[in-house]
Amino acid sequence: MRYAFYLGCATPVKALKYEISTRNLAKILGIELVDIPEFSCCGFPVKSMDSFAALLMAARNLAIAEEKGMDIIGVCTGCMAILSEAKEYLEDEKLRDKVNEKLKAIGAKEYTGRVKVKHFARFLYEDYRLDRIRDKIVTPLASLEFGIHYGCHYMKPTHAHGHFDDPSNPFTIDGLINITGAKTINYPNKNLCCGLTIMGTAEDISFRLAAEKLEYLSSRGVDAMVVACPSCCIAYENNQKLVGKRVGKEFNLPVLYFTQVIGLAMGLSEKDLGFEFNRIKADKITEKFK
Amino acid sequence: MYNEFFDREKLKYCYQCGKCSSGCDINRIDVSFQPHRLLHLISIGAADNLMEDAGLWKCTTCFTCSERCPQGIKVTEILWIARTIAVKAGHIPELLITQKDILLRTGRLIPMDNKKRGKAGLTAIQEESSVVARIFEIVEKEK
Repeated sequence: MRYAFYLGCATPVKALKYEISTRNLAKILGIELVDIPEFSCCGFPVKSMDSFAALLMAARNLAIAEEKGMDIIGVCTGCMAILSEAKEYLEDEKLRDKVNEKLKAIGAKEYTGRVKVKHFARFLYEDYRLDRIRDKIVTPLASLEFGIHYGCHYMKPTHAHGHFDDPSNPFTIDGLINITGAKTINYPNKNLCCGLTIMGTAEDISFRLAAEKLEYLSSRGVDAMVVACPSCCIAYENNQKLVGKRVGKEFNLPVLYFTQVIGLAMGLSEKDLGFEFNRIKADKITEKFK
Repeated sequence: MYNEFFDREKLKYCYQCGKCSSGCDINRIDVSFQPHRLLHLISIGAADNLMEDAGLWKCTTCFTCSERCPQGIKVTEILWIARTIAVKAGHIPELLITQKDILLRTGRLIPMDNKKRGKAGLTAIQEESSVVARIFEIVEKEK
């Protein structure tokens, strides 16, 4: 099981706990994540400036993995959506030829459409499969209860992602967390966007969106929010104090990556799961399952 | 260049039911943001009125409207294209200018911090620094 590891821009700088826990979890599951130094930004931030340039960036990354004969596994929902969308657009032969002509001009490889793109959580759910994960659980997290935040781009647009999860009632990450023995709640604003993409252009709306979910999950008394995207984590964890201030509340809700939760159940150490980088300390959880 | 992504035929299927706006969480917080109005203006060829509309930059691109459109219109995608038209007309939010500058210089949205990575026991990552610049060069040459 060898895959091209698509880290993206945010994770290797802003989400070290995500990268560390993903690498160590993959290791004990026997999944080889190969670093590809040639990968660049996926194209997402460029899409508002020039959609064709964004498509070229995505296509270039896809072509690199293709040439190396590996499918892509990524950890950022935004990257996965942009790469999957690009794959869908490039099913159009005319557009693909045009893109390849440009890729050639910048000395990049040709894109043919063979490569598959999956978020690590989706890969674990669909390909690695829950029963094999269950076999590796050494510390069931039976007493814990989480609220999952999927992140919009994890499964949307559904046509680009091959309809693998249900945007109105998502279940794949719940499945992964439930297999550890932990409970997950269904809650009214489960599908609400984190708002991070507009933090720089409409900050007030962005913070109010983030506050709604933080407020609800805090009131339900879950042990933590569980996320699968570095951007969502920035919105809910890095910004938690700022967001609280905006709405006159004080939040103290730990935000964990799904990889940290699964890793904990597999007996990985706090250090191997990057818990030192959790800004809202999750000691109550880690101490229980050391 | 945006024409490749712009399904104008499909836009004609919009009958202004407003489902995109009624299910929009941004609209719930800020009623001035109305995706259906945006579609209407674009479909009647009045997209120029949108260029300076701050609403363009309030969408989080959560795709809820696209998923729910009874006519299968890719609403989010259309908004995204409207943004690129605004940018080309010179209506660029400050943030985008900064982001583009970083991308052109480093090939990444967030520049690498290998010192921080080293401290965390992670290996250094080299930036593919010129990729984005080369792509922009070739795209802009065509205009």
